[in-house]
Amino acid sequence: MKMRRLRTPAATVLASLACFIVAAGRLSAAPGAQVVEIKGEIIDTWCYLSGVMGGPDAVVGSAHHTCALWCAAGGIPVGVKAEDGTVYMVLKVKGEDPLAQTDTIMELQSDSIVAKGQHYVRDGVNYLVVADVISNEGITNRNHEDFGVVPGFAIPEKK
Amino acid sequence: MVRAPYSSGPGMVCAAAVLACSFVAAGAHNGVTHKSADEAARHLKEQENTPGFPNIKGGDFRLIDQSGSGRSSKDPQNRFQLLFFGYAKCKAICSVALPRMAEVADRLEAEGVMVTPLLITVDPERDTAAALAEAVPKYHPRMIGLTGSEKALDEAYRAFQIERKVVFVDPEQGAVYAHGSYIYLLGPDGTFKTLFPPILGPERIAELVHRYIGGKS
Repeated sequence: MKMRRLRTPAATVLASLACFIVAAGRLSAAPGAQVVEIKGEIIDTWCYLSGVMGGPDAVVGSAHHTCALWCAAGGIPVGVKAEDGTVYMVLKVKGEDPLAQTDTIMELQSDSIVAKGQHYVRDGVNYLVVADVISNEGITNRNHEDFGVVPGFAIPEKK
Repeated sequence: MVRAPYSSGPGMVCAAAVLACSFVAAGAHNGVTHKSADEAARHLKEQENTPGFPNIKGGDFRLIDQSGSGRSSKDPQNRFQLLFFGYAKCKAICSVALPRMAEVADRLEAEGVMVTPLLITVDPERDTAAALAEAVPKYHPRMIGLTGSEKALDEAYRAFQIERKVVFVDPEQGAVYAHGSYIYLLGPDGTFKTLFPPILGPERIAELVHRYIGGKS
Protein backbone atom coordinates (compact mmCIF):
# COMPACT_ATOMS: atom_id res chain seq x y z
CA MET A 1 0.00 0.00 0.00
CA LYS A 2 1.39 3.36 -0.94
CA MET A 3 2.43 5.73 1.82
CA ARG A 4 1.90 9.42 1.43
CA ARG A 5 3.33 12.28 3.37
CA LEU A 6 2.00 15.77 3.50
CA ARG A 7 4.49 18.55 3.87
CA THR A 8 2.58 21.68 4.78
CA PRO A 9 1.54 22.52 8.31
CA ALA A 10 -1.87 23.58 7.20
CA ALA A 11 -2.55 20.48 5.23
CA THR A 12 -5.84 18.86 5.89
CA VAL A 13 -5.65 15.46 7.41
CA LEU A 14 -6.73 12.97 4.83
CA ALA A 15 -8.32 9.85 6.12
CA SER A 16 -7.45 8.08 2.96
CA LEU A 17 -7.62 4.36 3.08
CA ALA A 18 -4.35 4.32 1.22
CA CYS A 19 -2.56 6.51 3.71
CA PHE A 20 -1.08 5.48 6.99
CA ILE A 21 0.87 8.63 7.49
CA VAL A 22 -0.99 11.87 7.65
CA ALA A 23 0.09 15.37 8.38
CA ALA A 24 -1.12 17.00 11.53
CA GLY A 25 0.79 20.25 11.60
CA ARG A 26 4.18 20.93 13.05
CA LEU A 27 4.78 20.19 16.68
CA SER A 28 7.56 22.59 17.51
CA ALA A 29 10.64 24.16 16.09
CA ALA A 30 12.05 21.28 14.15
CA PRO A 31 13.01 22.54 10.74
CA GLY A 32 12.51 19.99 8.08
CA ALA A 33 10.82 17.34 10.15
CA GLN A 34 7.41 16.22 9.04
CA VAL A 35 4.73 15.68 11.62
CA VAL A 36 3.13 12.37 10.96
CA GLU A 37 0.68 9.94 12.37
CA ILE A 38 1.72 6.38 11.92
CA LYS A 39 -0.49 3.41 12.48
CA GLY A 40 1.40 0.24 13.11
CA GLU A 41 2.89 -2.24 15.50
CA ILE A 42 5.78 -1.66 17.88
CA ILE A 43 8.46 -4.15 16.97
CA ASP A 44 11.87 -5.41 17.95
CA THR A 45 13.91 -3.93 15.11
CA TRP A 46 16.82 -6.25 15.60
CA CYS A 47 15.03 -9.54 15.20
CA TYR A 48 12.63 -8.19 12.58
CA LEU A 49 15.21 -6.67 10.26
CA SER A 50 17.79 -9.42 10.61
CA GLY A 51 15.33 -12.25 10.16
CA VAL A 52 17.48 -14.76 11.98
CA MET A 53 14.90 -15.51 14.63
CA GLY A 54 12.29 -16.33 12.05
CA GLY A 55 10.29 -14.89 9.24
CA PRO A 56 8.74 -11.46 9.39
CA ASP A 57 5.36 -12.82 10.38
CA ALA A 58 6.83 -14.73 13.32
CA VAL A 59 9.12 -12.16 14.94
CA VAL A 60 6.35 -9.72 15.74
CA GLY A 61 3.21 -9.79 17.83
CA SER A 62 2.49 -12.04 20.76
CA ALA A 63 4.79 -14.79 19.47
CA HIS A 64 7.85 -12.61 19.80
CA HIS A 65 6.75 -10.45 22.70
CA THR A 66 9.01 -11.97 25.36
CA CYS A 67 12.14 -11.76 23.24
CA ALA A 68 11.18 -8.26 22.15
CA LEU A 69 10.94 -7.12 25.75
CA TRP A 70 14.39 -8.40 26.53
CA CYS A 71 15.87 -6.87 23.43
CA ALA A 72 14.29 -3.52 24.26
CA ALA A 73 15.47 -3.78 27.86
CA GLY A 74 18.96 -4.31 26.55
CA GLY A 75 18.77 -1.11 24.58
CA ILE A 76 17.93 -2.39 21.12
CA PRO A 77 15.85 0.27 19.42
CA VAL A 78 12.19 -0.45 18.99
CA GLY A 79 10.46 0.49 15.80
CA VAL A 80 7.02 1.13 14.48
CA LYS A 81 6.19 -1.13 11.58
CA ALA A 82 3.62 0.77 9.60
CA GLU A 83 0.96 -1.09 7.75
CA ASP A 84 2.81 -0.57 4.49
CA GLY A 85 5.82 -2.37 5.95
CA THR A 86 8.01 0.68 6.49
CA VAL A 87 9.91 0.53 9.76
CA TYR A 88 10.47 3.72 11.74
CA MET A 89 13.14 3.60 14.42
CA VAL A 90 11.76 5.21 17.56
CA LEU A 91 14.41 7.71 18.56
CA LYS A 92 12.67 9.34 21.49
CA VAL A 93 9.34 9.29 23.27
CA LYS A 94 7.38 12.21 24.63
CA GLY A 95 10.30 14.44 25.44
CA GLU A 96 12.08 11.89 27.59
CA ASP A 97 15.80 12.39 27.62
CA PRO A 98 17.19 8.93 26.91
CA LEU A 99 17.23 7.81 23.32
CA ALA A 100 14.56 5.17 22.83
CA GLN A 101 15.30 3.27 25.97
CA THR A 102 12.72 3.96 28.59
CA ASP A 103 10.01 2.23 30.57
CA THR A 104 7.48 3.82 28.25
CA ILE A 105 8.96 1.90 25.36
CA MET A 106 8.79 -1.32 27.32
CA GLU A 107 5.12 -0.78 28.03
CA LEU A 108 4.38 -0.32 24.34
CA GLN A 109 6.32 -3.27 23.00
CA SER A 110 4.33 -5.36 20.49
CA ASP A 111 1.27 -3.10 20.80
CA SER A 112 -0.77 -1.87 17.88
CA ILE A 113 -0.72 1.88 18.10
CA VAL A 114 -1.23 5.13 16.32
CA ALA A 115 1.67 7.43 17.09
CA LYS A 116 2.02 11.08 16.32
CA GLY A 117 5.45 12.55 16.03
CA GLN A 118 8.21 13.99 13.94
CA HIS A 119 9.65 11.97 11.12
CA TYR A 120 13.26 12.31 10.10
CA VAL A 121 15.30 10.52 7.51
CA ARG A 122 18.96 10.31 8.39
CA ASP A 123 21.58 8.24 6.65
CA GLY A 124 18.79 6.39 4.89
CA VAL A 125 17.07 5.37 8.12
CA ASN A 126 13.58 6.51 9.11
CA TYR A 127 13.42 7.88 12.64
CA LEU A 128 10.39 8.86 14.65
CA VAL A 129 10.33 11.17 17.66
CA VAL A 130 7.05 10.20 19.27
CA ALA A 131 5.14 13.13 20.66
CA ASP A 132 2.04 11.21 21.56
CA VAL A 133 0.53 7.77 21.33
CA ILE A 134 -2.91 8.65 20.13
CA SER A 135 -4.37 5.21 20.48
CA ASN A 136 -3.18 1.88 21.73
CA GLU A 137 -5.09 -1.30 21.13
CA GLY A 138 -2.56 -3.42 22.97
CA ILE A 139 -1.24 -6.61 21.44
CA THR A 140 -3.65 -7.43 18.68
CA ASN A 141 -1.35 -9.62 16.62
CA ARG A 142 -1.99 -12.92 18.40
CA ASN A 143 0.39 -14.85 16.21
CA HIS A 144 1.50 -17.12 19.03
CA GLU A 145 -1.54 -19.16 18.07
CA ASP A 146 0.26 -19.94 14.81
CA PHE A 147 3.93 -19.81 15.78
CA GLY A 148 4.06 -20.43 19.52
CA VAL A 149 6.84 -18.57 21.32
CA VAL A 150 9.50 -17.23 18.93
CA PRO A 151 12.24 -18.07 19.59
CA GLY A 152 11.28 -21.10 21.59
CA PHE A 153 13.90 -20.45 24.24
CA ALA A 154 12.58 -16.97 24.96
CA ILE A 155 10.85 -18.40 28.01
CA PRO A 156 13.53 -20.51 29.69
CA GLU A 157 12.82 -23.71 31.49
CA LYS A 158 13.29 -23.63 35.21
CA LYS A 159 16.44 -25.44 36.26
CA MET B 1 15.53 -3.83 39.68
CA VAL B 2 14.54 -7.46 39.79
CA ARG B 3 16.58 -10.54 40.36
CA ALA B 4 16.80 -13.11 37.62
CA PRO B 5 15.07 -16.29 38.71
CA TYR B 6 17.30 -18.57 36.70
CA SER B 7 21.00 -18.51 36.03
CA SER B 8 20.42 -19.03 32.34
CA GLY B 9 17.66 -16.50 32.53
CA PRO B 10 15.79 -14.65 29.87
CA GLY B 11 18.42 -11.97 29.65
CA MET B 12 20.44 -14.50 27.77
CA VAL B 13 17.67 -14.66 25.22
CA CYS B 14 18.65 -11.23 24.13
CA ALA B 15 22.29 -12.18 24.04
CA ALA B 16 21.54 -15.19 21.92
CA ALA B 17 19.35 -13.18 19.65
CA VAL B 18 21.94 -10.50 19.29
CA LEU B 19 24.75 -12.91 18.59
CA ALA B 20 22.67 -14.83 16.14
CA CYS B 21 21.85 -11.60 14.41
CA SER B 22 25.39 -10.53 13.76
CA PHE B 23 24.95 -11.59 10.18
CA VAL B 24 22.42 -8.93 9.32
CA ALA B 25 21.79 -8.73 5.62
CA ALA B 26 23.48 -5.72 4.09
CA GLY B 27 20.52 -4.92 1.92
CA ALA B 28 17.94 -4.72 4.70
CA HIS B 29 16.95 -1.40 6.16
CA ASN B 30 13.70 0.05 7.38
CA GLY B 31 11.92 -3.12 6.40
CA VAL B 32 12.59 -2.45 2.73
CA THR B 33 14.16 -5.37 0.95
CA HIS B 34 16.28 -4.89 -2.12
CA LYS B 35 17.41 -7.46 -4.60
CA SER B 36 21.04 -6.58 -4.15
CA ALA B 37 23.35 -4.60 -1.92
CA ASP B 38 24.03 -2.26 -4.82
CA GLU B 39 20.35 -1.55 -5.23
CA ALA B 40 20.06 -0.88 -1.50
CA ALA B 41 23.03 1.47 -1.60
CA ARG B 42 21.56 3.37 -4.54
CA HIS B 43 18.25 3.71 -2.74
CA LEU B 44 19.88 5.00 0.40
CA LYS B 45 22.05 7.48 -1.45
CA GLU B 46 18.96 8.98 -2.98
CA GLN B 47 17.65 9.89 0.45
CA GLU B 48 18.87 13.13 1.95
CA ASN B 49 19.01 13.80 5.66
CA THR B 50 16.06 15.68 7.09
CA PRO B 51 17.27 18.99 8.50
CA GLY B 52 16.75 19.58 12.21
CA PHE B 53 17.52 16.09 13.44
CA PRO B 54 17.24 16.10 17.25
CA ASN B 55 20.40 17.62 18.50
CA ILE B 56 22.71 15.48 20.57
CA LYS B 57 24.90 17.72 22.65
CA GLY B 58 27.73 15.22 22.68
CA GLY B 59 31.36 16.02 23.07
CA ASP B 60 33.31 17.64 25.82
CA PHE B 61 33.68 14.65 28.11
CA ARG B 62 36.75 14.25 30.27
CA LEU B 63 37.30 10.68 31.36
CA ILE B 64 40.05 8.17 32.14
CA ASP B 65 41.26 5.63 29.60
CA GLN B 66 42.40 2.08 30.26
CA SER B 67 45.97 3.20 30.88
CA GLY B 68 44.82 5.57 33.59
CA SER B 69 45.45 8.67 31.49
CA GLY B 70 42.98 11.46 30.98
CA ARG B 71 41.06 11.41 27.71
CA SER B 72 38.75 14.10 26.46
CA SER B 73 36.29 13.96 23.61
CA LYS B 74 38.93 15.39 21.31
CA ASP B 75 40.90 12.74 19.55
CA PRO B 76 44.61 13.33 20.18
CA GLN B 77 45.42 12.03 16.72
CA ASN B 78 42.78 14.17 15.06
CA ARG B 79 40.67 11.23 13.88
CA PHE B 80 36.96 10.69 13.63
CA GLN B 81 35.65 8.56 16.47
CA LEU B 82 33.07 5.82 16.86
CA LEU B 83 31.55 5.85 20.33
CA PHE B 84 29.46 3.24 22.11
CA PHE B 85 28.16 3.16 25.67
CA GLY B 86 28.32 -0.31 27.16
CA TYR B 87 30.26 -2.48 29.55
CA ALA B 88 32.87 -5.18 29.43
CA LYS B 89 30.74 -7.96 30.86
CA CYS B 90 27.76 -7.29 28.60
CA LYS B 91 26.76 -10.38 26.65
CA ALA B 92 23.93 -8.72 24.82
CA ILE B 93 24.13 -5.76 22.47
CA CYS B 94 27.73 -4.88 23.36
CA SER B 95 28.84 -8.24 22.05
CA VAL B 96 27.66 -7.16 18.63
CA ALA B 97 28.12 -3.41 18.66
CA LEU B 98 31.75 -3.47 19.80
CA PRO B 99 32.93 -6.05 17.24
CA ARG B 100 30.92 -4.13 14.67
CA MET B 101 32.74 -0.93 15.54
CA ALA B 102 36.01 -2.82 15.34
CA GLU B 103 35.14 -4.17 11.92
CA VAL B 104 34.21 -0.70 10.73
CA ALA B 105 37.56 0.59 11.98
CA ASP B 106 39.36 -2.21 10.17
CA ARG B 107 37.43 -1.69 6.95
CA LEU B 108 38.23 2.00 6.99
CA GLU B 109 41.85 1.43 7.90
CA ALA B 110 42.20 -0.88 4.92
CA GLU B 111 41.03 2.05 2.83
CA GLY B 112 43.52 4.39 4.45
CA VAL B 113 41.08 6.04 6.85
CA MET B 114 41.84 5.82 10.55
CA VAL B 115 39.01 6.15 13.06
CA THR B 116 39.18 5.61 16.79
CA PRO B 117 36.71 3.21 18.43
CA LEU B 118 35.66 4.32 21.92
CA LEU B 119 33.76 2.56 24.69
CA ILE B 120 32.40 4.59 27.59
CA THR B 121 31.40 2.26 30.37
CA VAL B 122 27.97 2.20 31.95
CA ASP B 123 29.34 -0.14 34.61
CA PRO B 124 32.11 1.83 36.32
CA GLU B 125 31.93 -0.34 39.42
CA ARG B 126 33.35 -3.28 37.48
CA ASP B 127 34.92 -1.48 34.53
CA THR B 128 37.94 -0.02 36.22
CA ALA B 129 40.82 1.15 34.06
CA ALA B 130 42.54 -2.17 34.71
CA ALA B 131 39.46 -4.15 33.74
CA LEU B 132 39.05 -2.12 30.58
CA ALA B 133 42.72 -2.63 29.76
CA GLU B 134 42.02 -6.33 29.70
CA ALA B 135 38.67 -6.17 27.93
CA VAL B 136 38.85 -3.64 25.12
CA PRO B 137 41.89 -4.99 23.23
CA LYS B 138 39.91 -8.17 22.72
CA TYR B 139 37.61 -6.17 20.50
CA HIS B 140 40.18 -4.02 18.74
CA PRO B 141 43.83 -3.17 19.41
CA ARG B 142 43.13 0.54 19.07
CA MET B 143 39.87 0.61 21.03
CA ILE B 144 39.87 3.08 23.90
CA GLY B 145 37.93 2.12 27.03
CA LEU B 146 36.82 5.03 29.16
CA THR B 147 35.70 5.29 32.74
CA GLY B 148 35.77 8.05 35.28
CA SER B 149 34.21 9.60 38.31
CA GLU B 150 30.46 9.34 38.77
CA LYS B 151 30.14 13.03 37.99
CA ALA B 152 32.23 12.85 34.83
CA LEU B 153 30.39 9.80 33.56
CA ASP B 154 26.99 11.31 34.34
CA GLU B 155 27.94 14.33 32.28
CA ALA B 156 28.85 12.07 29.37
CA TYR B 157 25.61 10.10 29.71
CA ARG B 158 23.57 13.27 29.70
CA ALA B 159 25.45 14.68 26.74
CA PHE B 160 24.64 11.63 24.65
CA GLN B 161 21.21 11.01 26.22
CA ILE B 162 22.13 7.65 27.66
CA GLU B 163 20.27 6.09 30.53
CA ARG B 164 21.88 3.20 32.36
CA LYS B 165 19.82 1.00 34.57
CA VAL B 166 20.27 -2.39 36.19
CA VAL B 167 17.65 -4.67 34.67
CA PHE B 168 18.38 -7.62 36.89
CA VAL B 169 21.21 -9.34 38.67
CA ASP B 170 22.26 -12.61 37.12
CA PRO B 171 23.43 -15.00 39.82
CA GLU B 172 26.44 -15.95 37.72
CA GLN B 173 27.28 -12.76 35.84
CA GLY B 174 26.19 -10.05 38.20
CA ALA B 175 24.40 -6.88 37.18
CA VAL B 176 22.89 -6.76 33.72
CA TYR B 177 22.43 -3.22 32.48
CA ALA B 178 20.01 -1.61 30.13
CA HIS B 179 21.74 1.07 28.14
CA GLY B 180 21.53 2.71 24.77
CA SER B 181 22.64 0.85 21.70
CA TYR B 182 23.30 3.55 19.15
CA ILE B 183 26.81 3.98 17.80
CA TYR B 184 27.75 7.65 17.70
CA LEU B 185 30.06 9.19 15.14
CA LEU B 186 32.11 12.05 16.53
CA GLY B 187 34.39 14.39 14.69
CA PRO B 188 38.05 14.71 15.65
CA ASP B 189 37.09 17.62 17.91
CA GLY B 190 34.45 15.53 19.63
CA THR B 191 31.43 17.09 18.00
CA PHE B 192 28.46 14.88 17.32
CA LYS B 193 28.08 14.01 13.65
CA THR B 194 25.46 11.29 13.53
CA LEU B 195 24.37 8.04 15.09
CA PHE B 196 23.90 4.56 13.73
CA PRO B 197 21.36 2.04 14.96
CA PRO B 198 23.00 -1.32 15.61
CA ILE B 199 20.96 -2.93 12.87
CA LEU B 200 23.23 -1.39 10.27
CA GLY B 201 25.95 -3.68 9.04
CA PRO B 202 29.63 -2.74 9.24
CA GLU B 203 29.91 -2.19 5.52
CA ARG B 204 27.06 0.31 5.61
CA ILE B 205 28.42 2.11 8.66
CA ALA B 206 31.85 2.31 7.04
CA GLU B 207 30.27 3.77 3.92
CA LEU B 208 28.41 6.38 5.97
CA VAL B 209 31.52 7.29 7.97
CA HIS B 210 33.29 7.84 4.69
CA ARG B 211 30.56 10.23 3.63
CA TYR B 212 30.78 12.22 6.86
CA ILE B 213 34.54 12.42 6.70
CA GLY B 214 34.11 13.59 3.17
CA GLY B 215 32.12 16.55 4.34
CA LYS B 216 28.49 15.42 4.48
CA SER B 217 26.72 16.68 7.59
